[in-house]
Amino acid sequence: MANPFDEPSSGGFLVAGGTSNDAEILEGFLCPICKSDLRTPERLTVHVEHEHSEEQDLLKSLKEIFHGILSKGKKKERPSQQQQQQQANSSIAGGESGVALGSAGTANNPLLQSASQQQVGSDCDHFGYFKAVRNPRLERYASETNKLIIRLDKLLDGCPTEPDQKKRHEQSKVPWIDGKLVKLCPSCAKGFGITRRQHHCRVCGSVMCDGCSLYLSFDDAYRIVQPNPISPNDTAALQQQQQKQYEPNADVETKSFRVCEHCLHLLLNRMEMQDSRRDRPAITRLYDRLRQERTDIEPHIPMYHRILDSLYEGDVIFRLSDASALRERIGRSAERLDTISKAILGLAFATGSREEALKKALRLACIAYIKERMLAIPPLPVEEEIKRIQQRKREETARRLERERLLALEAYERYELNQVASGGADPPSNTVSSSSTSSSSTASTAEMTVSTMDNWTGMQLGPSATVVTSDPLLDQINIVRGYIRQAREALRFEEVATLERNLAELTQEFYHRQRLDGGPESTQPAQPEP
Amino acid sequence: MNVIRAIQLYVDKMIADAGPGMKMLMMDRETISVVSMAFAQSEMLQKDVFLFERLDSARSNERLKYLKCIVFIRPTRDNVLRLQRELRSPKYGSYYIYFSNIIPRTDIKSLAESDESESVQDVKEVYADYLPVNPNLFSLHIPTCLQALSWNPEALERATQGLVSVLLSFKFRPAIRYRSGSTAAQTLAKKVHETINKETALFSFRPPEDGAAPPLLLILDRRDDPITPLLNQWTYQAMVHELLTISKQRVDLSGVSGVPKDLKEVVLSTEQDEFYANNLYANFGEIATTIKVLMDEFQKKAHDQRKIESIADMKNFVETYPQFRKMSGTVTKHLVLISELSVQVGRQQLFEVSELEQEIACRADHSTQLQRVKRLVSEGKISLDNALRLVLLYAMRYERHANCDTSGLLKLLQDRGGRAHIAPRMLEYISTVARQELFNTVKITDAVKLTRNLIKELKGVENVYAQHECVLKGTLEEIVKGRPLDAQYPIMGNEVPFRRPPAEVIVFIVGGATYEEALAVHRYNQEGYRIVLGGTTIHNSESFIEEVLAATAGVPFKHSRSLQQFHQPPAGTA
Repeated sequence: MANPFDEPSSGGFLVAGGTSNDAEILEGFLCPICKSDLRTPERLTVHVEHEHSEEQDLLKSLKEIFHGILSKGKKKERPSQQQQQQQANSSIAGGESGVALGSAGTANNPLLQSASQQQVGSDCDHFGYFKAVRNPRLERYASETNKLIIRLDKLLDGCPTEPDQKKRHEQSKVPWIDGKLVKLCPSCAKGFGITRRQHHCRVCGSVMCDGCSLYLSFDDAYRIVQPNPISPNDTAALQQQQQKQYEPNADVETKSFRVCEHCLHLLLNRMEMQDSRRDRPAITRLYDRLRQERTDIEPHIPMYHRILDSLYEGDVIFRLSDASALRERIGRSAERLDTISKAILGLAFATGSREEALKKALRLACIAYIKERMLAIPPLPVEEEIKRIQQRKREETARRLERERLLALEAYERYELNQVASGGADPPSNTVSSSSTSSSSTASTAEMTVSTMDNWTGMQLGPSATVVTSDPLLDQINIVRGYIRQAREALRFEEVATLERNLAELTQEFYHRQRLDGGPESTQPAQPEP
Repeated sequence: MNVIRAIQLYVDKMIADAGPGMKMLMMDRETISVVSMAFAQSEMLQKDVFLFERLDSARSNERLKYLKCIVFIRPTRDNVLRLQRELRSPKYGSYYIYFSNIIPRTDIKSLAESDESESVQDVKEVYADYLPVNPNLFSLHIPTCLQALSWNPEALERATQGLVSVLLSFKFRPAIRYRSGSTAAQTLAKKVHETINKETALFSFRPPEDGAAPPLLLILDRRDDPITPLLNQWTYQAMVHELLTISKQRVDLSGVSGVPKDLKEVVLSTEQDEFYANNLYANFGEIATTIKVLMDEFQKKAHDQRKIESIADMKNFVETYPQFRKMSGTVTKHLVLISELSVQVGRQQLFEVSELEQEIACRADHSTQLQRVKRLVSEGKISLDNALRLVLLYAMRYERHANCDTSGLLKLLQDRGGRAHIAPRMLEYISTVARQELFNTVKITDAVKLTRNLIKELKGVENVYAQHECVLKGTLEEIVKGRPLDAQYPIMGNEVPFRRPPAEVIVFIVGGATYEEALAVHRYNQEGYRIVLGGTTIHNSESFIEEVLAATAGVPFKHSRSLQQFHQPPAGTA
């Protein structure tokens, strides 16, 4: 079924719809509600405007679509076509819709094909294999270490200070290997004798010579057995202690356990893992604050640019005060970032150490971030200029709408003439199922109210929202205004933009209904607040 | 196809995989150059990478457990051993390990056995194993790749790995062609082909749709075109490299008089320096005009800044300050570079030298050219290096000419103290193919070439300093036009050659590429083709002569017996 009124300017745009009952495929500029073919975009718009005035969403999207196509606005064309597609899908049950997109001519030479966005190259993951090798070993170590820790706990429990008693106590807790079976020290392979006596590791009970013995101090042993959270100050002190540990000294026999190299390695490894898990030095806490601050402010910077763009475009969604508030917020955040990074720089580290380099790098990164991302934002526009732009834009829009309207009507009349001349097709049918006028719009606003209520629970509505009016739509408008003000105060401009759009729809709907009803002008809502 | 972008994407991915938190990057001698050519340090700081460390140099024992450590190293035996040591007593909280090429499984195993404290969080191969120089140009930084005119085994290994990583970073499984007659190119092609067939899992990319030709990897040999690296160039990047030497994007200006302290070493990166990126390929005349415009713009801005009268002015100044600083840095840097270039051009009489070089390279006129070379070499106004280059060009061009007087010229050069022994070496280096084809000694049968040369002569010369066209340009022309390649560039393996031109081309020159060739590639890319050029290194005339000397060391003199008196370098020089 060909489209009899082939509109070249529509750029191959077709709405093909089939009803669910007969699966007959219809093509052309169909009204999604009554399925009559209106033949031209202008007439479809006019038709919907008059017959289905309750379908504000549809009307809006239609206007967008056809405006996009007629003005050949490349930016808008594609999304709006998709929108139309969705529209058609949702409003016509079982309908099919097709959008014929201009196919890009394929180049003859493949070398000349336009380059697509470059993707990250191949990689090859070895971590699975790595883990398969590592984890069984780790498990073995872990169970061994746990065994040692349990023994260590027993050893520490009521350990006497007197050397002989201590030795007996140790021997009672851990079975020692029979020294006669071991002729050579297992780690240095030297024979035992009168000068080189046998010693036992207190945790595993194996034999070694004095030279190969190591010591685990009671302090460390306690820390391994009972890992308590230690404050950062303590860790520093303990680290110092760690430096001079395991050197056999005077009270080494009474204040520590003799252990073999293997056991000490396992135990210390465990201790270090516990320590590093707890270790939260000041620099990391400051860094976390820095990062938090940055993630908080990050979305605001593009928002600021968007507000400025929108202001220069002459849109009325945002105001100059919004931009200035946001700018101030970014500035304050920059100050905070600066303070934190200065605090990091103020941390005391040994000169020439890695940490010293680290804090300098942090500060440098912060300065660069502030300079390039936060201070580089463009200055505020001048108020008069914005006003002028807005004024011009309003005038332009009015003129354009008028022109389009005229063109559309002209086309419509021409078409009518043609129809008469050919004496063919039926006039557009007006079988409109009239629904309750405000149901859909109030439903949508109610929905919106619920969703916004979620965001603003516990906040009192502004006074303008509580003004009692007879019209529920007007109530909605006022409520939305209240929300906008609140969102604005909280500098949540994403929401402001959404709410403003909703408000515009509501107001449009309101005017429209008034025009239809010829209703009371007294409740006309005021112009948007300056 | 942008090699810089490819490396950036890899590095970004590594950093993203490590997640949030303070990070440090551990690299080795080679990977640190790879990363530094793709990112400035300040950019890395913005990605929360605060510290940089070399795995293969002395390091402090400080433990910084709150740092995440990204390890990006080449998969060499030494690196694996060092990393094993590091993992046994880890200094950092967690490790994310990335190897820049294919690593044997046994190495992964030994690393896993060393990770006793479970600090490794990731182990991957990423294929960022080459130096991205320009978006369309990569280097493997192998200064000399041949010995006795065949591959140095280490260099061959490195070149194979480098090419494999380039292919994987673009996800290409290419058809491989090599210049027939060049054993070096053929050997490398074979090695790459073997690796691709061995690592089938890695190279199992979806074949191109509707049977389009696969990407092409073309391996060429510098010995087939030793002319290009010897010529003086007049485009910005090539000139800076020729006269001041660019090494891994850095230019050492410490030898230049009157340079401000902070410009003793300048970085020339297409990523961070917009002026440079826009003027890489601009010729010397254009660039002088451009820098003038930039200066004016800068002065205007600088002037604006001076009249700070009110608070608002001050604020405005602070707001535009970062850009201002950036711009002033760029302007000064390029001003210094360009003024140094023009000093050199004047001092070395490069206009005269270059014109004669181009004449010799492009047209046969033996007696006139001999007179001019003789005059320039003997007069002593031009530097010995330039004199040598003229003699080398003459020697190659008129090797078979009846009245060839190379020995006479070399005598003159030697009398001035020049390195005359290089000429015989160069005559050994130049390949048989180049001897036959380079100087338009075309056989009558090759009608296409003959007509092309005729047309070229008829059209006349637009720019006397840029008459010469590198061999690569002709080669690329044949590829993009889809002409049959099988005779000159046979295909490796038993793949059925495609008749259609490939969608992407990677050209690799054994023995080093030049910036002139990068320019030729750039011109094609501007027309919409997708070509990337690579070389074992990027040559200027000086580094090229070094390469020739290294490649011909110990080779018996076959073609230059007549120059026997010049075979030995004078006592005291290498």
